[in-house]
Amino acid sequence: MKLKAREVEGIIVLEVKGQMIGGPEAAVLPETIKAEIDKGKKRFVLDLGEVDRMNSTGLGNLIGSLTTIKNAGGELKLANVAEKIQSLLLITKLVTIFESHDTVDKAVRSF
Amino acid sequence: MPLKKVGELVIPSSLDHLSEVDHFAERMVKKLALPKEILDDVAISATEAVNNAILHGNKGNAGKKVTIRFYLCAQYLRLVVRDEGSGFAPESVPDPRQQQNLLKTSGRGLLIMRYLMDRVSFQRRRNGMSIIMDKFCPECHTVQSGGG
Ligand SMILES: Nc1ncnc2c1ncn2[C@@H]1O[C@H](COP(=O)(O)OP(=O)(O)OP(=O)(O)O)[C@@H](O)[C@H]1O
Ligand SMILES: [Mg+2]
Repeated sequence: MKLKAREVEGIIVLEVKGQMIGGPEAAVLPETIKAEIDKGKKRFVLDLGEVDRMNSTGLGNLIGSLTTIKNAGGELKLANVAEKIQSLLLITKLVTIFESHDTVDKAVRSF
Repeated sequence: MPLKKVGELVIPSSLDHLSEVDHFAERMVKKLALPKEILDDVAISATEAVNNAILHGNKGNAGKKVTIRFYLCAQYLRLVVRDEGSGFAPESVPDPRQQQNLLKTSGRGLLIMRYLMDRVSFQRRRNGMSIIMDKFCPECHTVQSGGG
């Protein structure tokens, strides 16, 4: 898993690449979010367009991110959720807790 | 056509080996020329089960091993993940879809494996627990007769 962070109009866009299946490199997501919160950032978009595999650990990371951001008084929105990942969100009923948009652009404009 | 063992990987109980498991599953599906559609389902289920074997079964004890095996017959590809732990009762695992569990960061592995694979069962032995997962594929037949 690789992570790139950029800022668009004060909103932090986190672009995840590769696999969200756990393992040592998964820690970069919570670490990056925490660092941005410490800098005063509150609005986040998680771009999942380049994620090719996700498992329960990956879903756990998504929820952990959401909770961290909410507890800091912020918001997290998902963007570019591929069909395979969407179906996992559906069967786990996590669709009910995540706001999701077709594109990063739409997610950024929805704040 | 009988079930035939087509591959095996044994790893120590460390999450550092997860991507190796993912690659192994991917190599297996490709080597057997199985349909691409099943690749993600099989690879995700493999790392999911290995995660459980390492963390819950072997409790992270690096001295204990996890064994991943693939079998093939005319109707399905079978994935078996075995640990050296004392096992568990799958029917008493809480349902992660219940409202009070939705915000928990864990507890979805079994649900995901049952969704991605066509048949999931468990075998509890004195020296370890196995999870057995079958993925049906119509093409398995041609793979077997064609590939010998
Ligand atoms: N191989 C195993 N040995 C012992 N207990 C297991 C094993 N696999 C699963 N379990 C038990 O079943 C529970 C549910 O497993 P499941 O994979 O669904 O969730 P999890 O591993 O707790 O979290 P997640 O997979 O979402 O990260 C585990 O918490 C554990 O108690
Ligand atoms: Mg699990």
